[in-house]
Amino acid sequence: MALSSTLAALMLILACASTRAATPGPSPAPTSVAPQASATPTPQSTAPPPRTLLYLSASNVNFYYDRFLIEADGNVRVQTSDGFTVTGDAFSMDLKLNRFLVAGHVTLHDSTGTVSGAAISDFLDFQRIYFVPVTTAPDRWTFLNGDLAHPAKGRVMPDDAFYFPLISQHPSITASGAVIGTKTYARFVNAHTYFLNAGVPLGSYVVNFSPNQYFAQNTLSGASVDLTWNVAGNTNALTAVHLRYDPTYKTYLSVEQHLVGDHEYAIFSVNPATRAEKWWNLALYEKLGSRFQISSFTQYYTQQVWLGEPSAAQQTTFLNATYAFPHSYVTATSQLTNYNTLGPGSLEVPQAIGGNLSHPSQAQITATSFANKIPGLPIFEQIYEGYGFNHDSVGPLQYLQGSNGIPPIPIPGLQAYGSPCADQHGVVGKNGPVYYCPVYTTIWNTVFGFNLYTQSLKLNNPENPYETYYFNASFNRQWQWNSLPHWISSENVNFSINRAFSRSLNTYLAYQVLNVGDHYLQGGYLPCPDVGTPLCPLSFTSFRGVSTERTTSLGINFAPHPEFNFSLLVRHHEDFPIPVPGLFGLPPNNIIGQPLYTSYLGQAPYDATGEVRIKILSHALLDVSRTFYWYGNPYRTTFWQPSFVVQVLPI
Amino acid sequence: MTQRILSLVALTLTVVLLAAGSSVVVSGQLLAYQDGFVFFTTGDGFHVAPNVAIRDAKTGGATTVKPAPRIWARATFDSSGTVTELDLSRSPLPPQGSFADVAHFAVALSSPVPNPDLLKNIETPTPGESSEPSQHFSGRPVLVTFIVQVPPYTPFTSSIYITTDQSGWNAQAIPMDRIDALHYQITRRFNSGTIFRYLYDRGSLQSQEVAQNGLSRPPRSFVVADADVLTRRDIVYAWQDSGPGSVNQQQPQIMPTPYNPAPFPNLPGSVPPPQPQPGKPPAW
Repeated sequence: MALSSTLAALMLILACASTRAATPGPSPAPTSVAPQASATPTPQSTAPPPRTLLYLSASNVNFYYDRFLIEADGNVRVQTSDGFTVTGDAFSMDLKLNRFLVAGHVTLHDSTGTVSGAAISDFLDFQRIYFVPVTTAPDRWTFLNGDLAHPAKGRVMPDDAFYFPLISQHPSITASGAVIGTKTYARFVNAHTYFLNAGVPLGSYVVNFSPNQYFAQNTLSGASVDLTWNVAGNTNALTAVHLRYDPTYKTYLSVEQHLVGDHEYAIFSVNPATRAEKWWNLALYEKLGSRFQISSFTQYYTQQVWLGEPSAAQQTTFLNATYAFPHSYVTATSQLTNYNTLGPGSLEVPQAIGGNLSHPSQAQITATSFANKIPGLPIFEQIYEGYGFNHDSVGPLQYLQGSNGIPPIPIPGLQAYGSPCADQHGVVGKNGPVYYCPVYTTIWNTVFGFNLYTQSLKLNNPENPYETYYFNASFNRQWQWNSLPHWISSENVNFSINRAFSRSLNTYLAYQVLNVGDHYLQGGYLPCPDVGTPLCPLSFTSFRGVSTERTTSLGINFAPHPEFNFSLLVRHHEDFPIPVPGLFGLPPNNIIGQPLYTSYLGQAPYDATGEVRIKILSHALLDVSRTFYWYGNPYRTTFWQPSFVVQVLPI
Repeated sequence: MTQRILSLVALTLTVVLLAAGSSVVVSGQLLAYQDGFVFFTTGDGFHVAPNVAIRDAKTGGATTVKPAPRIWARATFDSSGTVTELDLSRSPLPPQGSFADVAHFAVALSSPVPNPDLLKNIETPTPGESSEPSQHFSGRPVLVTFIVQVPPYTPFTSSIYITTDQSGWNAQAIPMDRIDALHYQITRRFNSGTIFRYLYDRGSLQSQEVAQNGLSRPPRSFVVADADVLTRRDIVYAWQDSGPGSVNQQQPQIMPTPYNPAPFPNLPGSVPPPQPQPGKPPAW
């Protein structure tokens, strides 16, 4: 805990220092190109222009999200960080082209004075300002590189210097003002958005369109619906309030703060903020030079009413560092977890229970090669090897801290390979001991594995490309040796043949074999007693820790339109041990109802998953999916996934 | 008599035609209307007659629309280059006339000077080379198909998404569909000329793709050229949260289980966990 806190603090300091010291990065190219054919001026200097701040106020400010246009009319006033102020009747700015226009009764004011004119257009990327002054008569002036004192008079201007975009749609946001950080964000003042033509007041709203992908980093879990209100922000920061819904926590609010630099970020969130179960998240990242990066992700779970004293608290931290070599890389990962940061006997006061006092830590360093093509073969190979350390000093019996009649919590420990606990707390199991104590507090392990795979191989060469069949295959083999007499092997083979019948219809047939061996040199898996009973089916008599899962999949994707998509995945599993309805546990679901892992023992022999995506709003997709399971003979049991998985995805 | 009448008619027609020929009509969008000038979005300013007639472009009658920025107008020039009539509309008017024909009427104090910024882009083509620009963007919608090859250890039922700067880097902005063991695909519509940056992920930013050298990678950049359809093929070499051999995967809002190398988390309760050899309990 102390180590993780220290590292987290160090990372935060580094991130903040780097953010403060960050100079504007290379300015990327405009992210949209005007449809009109126009001669684009070429800047004389190759140095990227500095970022500019524009303070815009007007009677009406409209923002069009799908075109990144800001259009304003009436009493327009634009103040720029370049040192001048413009007033006029109309304002137009293409945020992606990074240029703005003010037209009608224009005044241009700077430290040298005021000039009146008909229109002014500032091509910020090129440091060119095109002005139509009206003194005794109209003229054409071009200001070069921000020099407003010495206009180049009479210069021919680009044809589209004073172009107003054609707009037919309803604005996404209306406001009375905006602060525009060129190429990164626009913050609207007194903003309203519209839902079914009804105005929704937002107050302040930030549209972030920065090319910096670190703004993408977030620490929130998935949700069925997430309506994001970007309350505040600038070039390096974004504060967002999320109104979310998921089947677990229902409707709630979350808060997230982004701090972003050119080579680093720090993201903090609390989610759900309005539920007793709160997850406090902190993600930190720093790239040092071109070969090294370090990141951390810390979660702190509290059960508390608003900000009252928590009745439970847990913490986990992931640390990752990667160093890149010319043809390989080394990754060091660490995971530090404390399942009860409140201490023994602190939970559920006044009837305190000990809870899980385990605080395992784990570290691993792994070297991974690039994928290399094997000469003469259409096959790529990749190898990796890692060394790990796992430790939980609490040791055995710590799970048996139940008190006041509350039974102990049978959570597997660092290594569940153990003997029955001496104290069974009076519980007598029908099939033997109920509680097994962990044995080892420290486990070292070594991992070695390799991947072989092909890229798409054509199986035929018909004239019609939609009659072509492609073949793909991949193979993974991995071994993990532990410092106790225990090793694990896995082997995963995938084959698939696919064909596109048209641009909108794709199908594939895949076959996968997954073998997992959990090998113990002494003892290990024992057959369950009462063989042949519902609790101990026949296949378990020969199960000694080696499973085989064979999966045949048929996938169909139909996308006749970019705004509509239907996919169907039908699978047949032929597994050992043989699945029996109700006998195996099902994988836990994440908070939106999706299973945390999709390959597991006991899965129904057949399943079919249908998924439909359809555009429901100009900026939203609805994604609905559900899976149907059936067992076939002799059980003939069928069941549906407990609920539809519904997500509204912003686009 | 008949000849006289015909001559008179011919003369009248000639006068009318001459009069009509002396007036030029162009249509366009207004940039400004002030100080006795009307400015179009070409940047050109023209004298306006003091008694300029302002009418509705559709009805020809009176209008409440005032000349102002964004308003569409059909301007009638007299022979001296003065605008004598403005027909206004809030919606675009059919193209009429050419501003090249009235450019000599535009008022400017300074004489035109070549712009070296613009000249730089008009280099003399080498023999056999077209002087046409190599890329042209009409802005029309283009179907773009993205096909991505994922790492072979990507879980078979994983969902793959594209995150872009167009959608504020939302991690689930563009969901993709699996088309074989290693590839996912999606088709989307973008206007030509759009330039956007994008990355692939598995539904969250914790599961974003990383570069082949294991470091976070800069976003890909893509310019949508004019075409009926475009195909973009990419390769994802590794995921941030599940590199080869990795054993810990961070997932927001899920506490990790203690390190437990037993790979069958959902065995039936009737199956006891792995046991030491009877009579030989391992030392603690």
